[in-house]
Amino acid sequence: MEVLLASLIALALTAGAMSAFVAGHADVSVAATVFCGVFVQALPFLVLGVVISGLIAAFVSADRLARWLPRRPAVAVAVAGVGGAALPGCECGSVPVARRLFGDGVSGAAALTFMLSAPAINPVVLVATAVAFPGQPAMVLARCMASLITAITMGLLWQRWGRAEWVNRRLTTPHATDASRWTVFTEAARHDFLQAASYLVLGAAAAALLRVALPPWVFQHIAGHLILGVLTMALLAVVLALCSEADAFVAASLTMLPLLPRLVFLVVGPAVDIKLSAMQAGMFGRPFAIRFGPATFVVATVVATVVGVVVLGGVR
Amino acid sequence: MSRGTQNTLVLLVGLSALVMVIKGTYLHFVKPSLLPWLIAAAVVLIALAVASIVRDLRDAPGSDEHGHRHRPWLVWLLLVPIALTTFVVPPPLGALGAAPEAVAVTAPPKRAFPPLPAGRAPTVSIPDVVMRAAADSTNSLDRRLITLAGFTVKHSEGTDLGRVVIVCCAADAQLARIHLSGAAAAEAAGYPEDTWLQVEGTVVAGTSTESTNFVPTIAVSRVTRIDKPANTYAY
Repeated sequence: MEVLLASLIALALTAGAMSAFVAGHADVSVAATVFCGVFVQALPFLVLGVVISGLIAAFVSADRLARWLPRRPAVAVAVAGVGGAALPGCECGSVPVARRLFGDGVSGAAALTFMLSAPAINPVVLVATAVAFPGQPAMVLARCMASLITAITMGLLWQRWGRAEWVNRRLTTPHATDASRWTVFTEAARHDFLQAASYLVLGAAAAALLRVALPPWVFQHIAGHLILGVLTMALLAVVLALCSEADAFVAASLTMLPLLPRLVFLVVGPAVDIKLSAMQAGMFGRPFAIRFGPATFVVATVVATVVGVVVLGGVR
Repeated sequence: MSRGTQNTLVLLVGLSALVMVIKGTYLHFVKPSLLPWLIAAAVVLIALAVASIVRDLRDAPGSDEHGHRHRPWLVWLLLVPIALTTFVVPPPLGALGAAPEAVAVTAPPKRAFPPLPAGRAPTVSIPDVVMRAAADSTNSLDRRLITLAGFTVKHSEGTDLGRVVIVCCAADAQLARIHLSGAAAAEAAGYPEDTWLQVEGTVVAGTSTESTNFVPTIAVSRVTRIDKPANTYAY
């Protein structure tokens, strides 16, 4: 507590000097603004996420969740994928919710599928995509299909090869069984917020630094090469860490690229980016994050490419 | 890190969101439409922190040691956004921070835009002009005097008037711009980079093509220097 007070006083005293420093260095100022942009934009969605996560902790026990879901794991994964459409919002909110649903791993595959599908196929995101690509409804269909298939594939992969010991971050479970629902709710929400938000800071900082470091010619030089374009757009989705409600507009503006690489950008972005990986490392554990992130990246890129070729009709 | 410090950090994150809302500085980072959500998030966080603080005071203080985390120091990182959004407050993005793409889509499908507002020289936003010049099937900009506001962007072939457009937050900022030509363009070129100007003029028909990267040109008849607006972004 004393350390906190001392840092706050130090901050207040040096605020003027720091503002002047930031204003005087163009790159620092851009990075600081982008960092604040990502954090402030994510904050309401994160709070919504931890409130839902707290409600799940208070009202939905693991065995009740297991009773709700279909008995067959594969069917449960498919239900979770489609159910993702019910949580409108950015991807930041879905990580704590999924961690809470994951519990001790009984319905793990379904929880992970939900985490990947919720930010990508909810109505807000699909409407935003339709607005960003006027006159190209195939783009909305392709995005929805590719994201859903990616989410379900990852759930099934987890079902088959996932190991419970990779998830080494434990949830707080209030020790006393007589704790009131209100106590369980506030403790779970408080814990999840602290953990997810501090990793969000890491992810937002990485996105801001990379944004400043990214050379502007990247976009111009990949226009002619399809495979290069797909790979670059997939990596760019990871690096830029855009909110899933905004990425369609950014993809629409990259007019020198064909539709296919832009679809890859839209499918990879909500599933895996540096901010999400940081948050998954915080909520699930590092052994989980270093396996789940790259696997999602490969699955999302391949699925988006295949769906793109089929739905968008070739590689124009 | 003690529970008390953690609760205080949650409280401070909520308060810093509230400070941004009250001072209006959240507009440096996100869109105005996020306002109600930001207020709700601030209220929830403050309530959560107060509830935890009150409960810890009521229960035996300091007895609660569960929740040992692997890296408790990471929670200190929350001081970074608190410091940046409340104390440092970085400025809104300018031409340098925005991605240099045009807002218009390649050969965008033509559609009918609503007519421009009546009057001698209605004010139109720069992204709106860029979209209309590229895609308006009713050609509403032709032979119409319009008023634009933006900042100067210098480049090798002249001076542009620009505006940073954000869709969601500062991370997706893009630069929308329009080339200046005509009688008063020299006056605009006389101002240094990043000067806020209000210009009156007529968009030159047929200048928004693939060869110009869909950046239209406006023939400017009058240039007035203006103060930097409180909200520098366009949406």
